[in-house]
Amino acid sequence: MNLQAINRPLLTLAALSSMTLFLVSCASTAPVCGSPQSRNLNTAIDGVQTSLINGCHAHFDRYYDELLDIAEGDPKPENKREFSEFLVWSSDKGLLSTRQAEDYYNRFFNVKFMSMRGDYNNCSHTCPNKKKVLFDMERELSDKERGLLKVSRDADGYYRADQLYQEVELVLEATCNACAAGR
Amino acid sequence: MMKTSAVRKNLSLSIVALSLLSVESSFATTPTIRLFPTTVVEDLRQTSNVARDMETGLQEVIGRLDQQQELYNESKCNGAENDSGCQRLARQIGATYLEMLTIMEERLPDMEHTVNNTKLSLEKGLRNELGKKMTPWKLQETLIGGKASETLPQNAPTLRGRSGMRLSERFKQYYQLVATSGAKGDQSLAVLASDIYLDMDETSVLMQRTRQEIARATLMEQLNQSFGIITPEMIEVVGGVKSILFGDEDAQTLVAGPPPGSVEQAYRSPLEQ
Repeated sequence: MNLQAINRPLLTLAALSSMTLFLVSCASTAPVCGSPQSRNLNTAIDGVQTSLINGCHAHFDRYYDELLDIAEGDPKPENKREFSEFLVWSSDKGLLSTRQAEDYYNRFFNVKFMSMRGDYNNCSHTCPNKKKVLFDMERELSDKERGLLKVSRDADGYYRADQLYQEVELVLEATCNACAAGR
Repeated sequence: MMKTSAVRKNLSLSIVALSLLSVESSFATTPTIRLFPTTVVEDLRQTSNVARDMETGLQEVIGRLDQQQELYNESKCNGAENDSGCQRLARQIGATYLEMLTIMEERLPDMEHTVNNTKLSLEKGLRNELGKKMTPWKLQETLIGGKASETLPQNAPTLRGRSGMRLSERFKQYYQLVATSGAKGDQSLAVLASDIYLDMDETSVLMQRTRQEIARATLMEQLNQSFGIITPEMIEVVGGVKSILFGDEDAQTLVAGPPPGSVEQAYRSPLEQ
């Protein structure tokens, strides 16, 4: 009788412990989203693709940044294609929308500025937000420095982007003054 | 002798007519954005001529002022204002200064008129063509000329506002750039129009202020004449006029020149916009 009274709480404790162990084991199946180990861009992209497919898609931004870092270690014009193919793959796998893939690519590897996207005319939309547009362009220019100059060794492309930024600044100042004078 | 001058006159008229015709024909080939109608081109030419007349009138007076100022300094008149010789020199400087103000008062309205005409025409063009008819993306594509991967054109305009040159020379350069810009495409036109418009805007404000100041400065100087005083304001005004008319020696033209980069043809991604 006494023995039975002692065993009951022990049994409850054992049951609780096994449940806890079961839950812990469930938690440990979450993916390990580590950084790519290789300094070779192709191998690193393979590794990142595996991680992304295995549930690490929430870490896309970090992976993209790390891939850019790796590419900076071996800058060459072909890197543009590697990134483009990686982004097309991400879009095909449903990890990014087409628009997001375009943004990721063009922000870093195109001369044109994604900050200059807009569906309304300059007088009504760009001029009231001129400061913000130029600020965003300036930030994008530093991404282009990384993508075009440091990753792809496309100096001409980067300097064209830099000149485009200066031209937009000048033309917007004049155009916005003209828009304001016409009100 | 008469014959030669007549030939010369005819020749120069033909040159003007030809250059105007070339402006017209270049516009005919690029009708996409109309930032430089012929009226603007003509206004620019006229502004250059009016500025040249003003410079010619002022150059001699300013030169004389410089000489008088030098003599004043060499005679160690600074700090010896009560000396009768120095007072006489100061009065001479004051009289030349008044002469300069009078010339400016006479010539500035013409100048202001042509500058404002050009400014207003450009303003209308910029507002309609770039402000109302274009989205920011379209503006960017216009500036880049549709060929982002292409290297920069060697003959892109490099003027950026006041470029340390004579006023008439500056307008003459603007005129020449505009007159030959048709073949360069819309991207150069947009930058050029913006550059000229901002410069005109600044020049117009400066002239307006100068005109307002002239009446006051004339009155002050007429009073000073009886005492023979050189005010620091006088020196400042003369310096300002010289800088506007004959260029700022310290200012340098900004030239954005990229260092030679890789000439390998860029890869074009399907994601590229």
